Amino acid sequence: MAFALSPPAEATREASTLAVSRARAVRRFKLSLLLPLIAIFALVLTPVLLLQLYFSVHQWTVYLSSWWDADYVGLDLFRDVLTDPRFGWAVVRSLAFATGSTLGCFVFGFLLAYLMYRPFRGQAFFYIIFILPMLTVPVVVAYTAEMMLYRSGPLNDAISHITGFNFQVSWLTNPHLALLTAALLEIWNWTPFSFIIMLAGLAAIPKEPIEAAEILGASKWRIFWEVQVPLLRPVILLALVLRFLEAMAEFPKTWALFQGGPGSATETLPIYIFMTTWQYFEVSKGAAMSYIVMLMMIVIVLVAIQLLRREKRSLDAMYRQRDEEEQAAGG
Amino acid sequence: MAMTKTQRRRLTATARYAILILWGIGAGFPIYWMVITSFKPDNQWFSWPPVYFPHPPTLDNYLNVWFGAQEYANTQYAISSQKPLLSLWNSTVIAFTSTFLAVLFGSILAYGVSRYRILSEARMFQLLMLRMIPPIVVVAPLSLYYSALGLLDTRTGLILVYFLTTLPYAVWMTKSFIDEVPREVEQAAEILGASRWRTLFEVVLPLIRSGLVATFLFILILTWSEYLLALIITKTNVSTLPIELSKYQGSTEGRVYGRQAALAVGITIPLMIVGLIIRKHLARGFSFGMVRR
Repeated sequence: MAFALSPPAEATREASTLAVSRARAVRRFKLSLLLPLIAIFALVLTPVLLLQLYFSVHQWTVYLSSWWDADYVGLDLFRDVLTDPRFGWAVVRSLAFATGSTLGCFVFGFLLAYLMYRPFRGQAFFYIIFILPMLTVPVVVAYTAEMMLYRSGPLNDAISHITGFNFQVSWLTNPHLALLTAALLEIWNWTPFSFIIMLAGLAAIPKEPIEAAEILGASKWRIFWEVQVPLLRPVILLALVLRFLEAMAEFPKTWALFQGGPGSATETLPIYIFMTTWQYFEVSKGAAMSYIVMLMMIVIVLVAIQLLRREKRSLDAMYRQRDEEEQAAGG
Repeated sequence: MAMTKTQRRRLTATARYAILILWGIGAGFPIYWMVITSFKPDNQWFSWPPVYFPHPPTLDNYLNVWFGAQEYANTQYAISSQKPLLSLWNSTVIAFTSTFLAVLFGSILAYGVSRYRILSEARMFQLLMLRMIPPIVVVAPLSLYYSALGLLDTRTGLILVYFLTTLPYAVWMTKSFIDEVPREVEQAAEILGASRWRTLFEVVLPLIRSGLVATFLFILILTWSEYLLALIITKTNVSTLPIELSKYQGSTEGRVYGRQAALAVGITIPLMIVGLIIRKHLARGFSFGMVRR
């Protein structure tokens, strides 16, 4: 447009001041939109993280009167934590718990979604039943589990009736089983999450490539692995990553049901940090531990975000291309 | 023996229903157990063999837990017959207020992201860190900070952290709805002389009303059932329902399954109603723009 005519100098100046004031107004508007977020970072997150840093380099327990009198101890606390075998085991347990329950949720969720993504009689009914566990408060899951899992409880009893032999498993008190029980509860609680995401993903796959493959005589098996799974990659990644991160943070069920026991069988990272801080009152050690876990999680989250962004970009590109093709075909 | 095509189809259909029904039983049985336990008289809570249907069903558990019938007033259970109605009120106020704030500020931010790109895509993902880093790593300094500010054991304190931790979901979810509003609508409003704020509040947000409701209910599920932050920030004054439930565990020697179940059912029912209302939108809340159409 600019090259079309040379307008009178007066008008240009007026237009440009208008544009400048408009740009300024837009900038002010953008800033005011951002204000709540800036306030959160300045007033809550920054002070909290600084406090955490302070405690992780100062030796303080609740028995000391004021926390600003605590002695500076440098990186001693971090050394303590990193040489603490209990912390090492907590890391191992957390990773095992998160990996196991993530895979469990994913496999079952995907299987159910695959069985359900095409309309069939009773679909809505099954969908509602399947999402119920996710709509149960985690603490409620823990206490309901306790009502069911004791040695002579209904679960063992029901299994005994069905299988015909005397099934007596101590789900809650056997230290070799407790973490598995916790993971199974997590799977029961959160399979609906993977199920919902995978169902939405399967339903969103364009039909054309599948129909084309069917016409070419490909088996269901091959269509699944060579057409559907590649198209589902972003959704699969999402289901795995989000579930893993949430499982790393799982606290309510494990705490309400086990408090880290029997022995230390269910002492995952959140549990161990909680016990250190609120039962042994070693606030500083808890803070150092928290910092290490936070850094570890930040690394994991950044990698996860990188993966998710890459998938999202390729997905956006695919949809844009499709829209353009549709437009070209329509116009 | 070769099967005909119809036979094979019938077989797959049967197998499908078998798996679905099996999983349905697995998913439903604990919930069934919780519900029937809440109707059991106390000699059936923990009996051998387990009682699969309460006979006779009783409302005692509900009356006792929710309305404080006095039969246990002088026993060990008395400590735990606390104030569930007060907790219900706390939970309601805290969950609704924090969710409202999250959706309000979330949609303002989302509008800015969608129309003015105030956050880059990378920042949008980084925002998720507020949610993805386990809250346990900040609760200790948070509780000290709160005690310095006098926010410990107050509703305001809990509302503030819930607002913070659910904001990322609110932004992502409302953005997915705002992205679907055609820009022409806003341009029309601008030509008619509406200010930017008016355009946002009187044109854009009303257009995505149902999306805002879905986001609200989705976040309500998260704030209603939160446990760890409530455990640390509330002490005695403002315990929420999940905390109230866990008190039944800590303060009693015996197993009071029936009472626990009656409380648990009361906590869970609102959540299930909300979840079933927005069941079609759940995928959107979780999928961060990864699932389309």
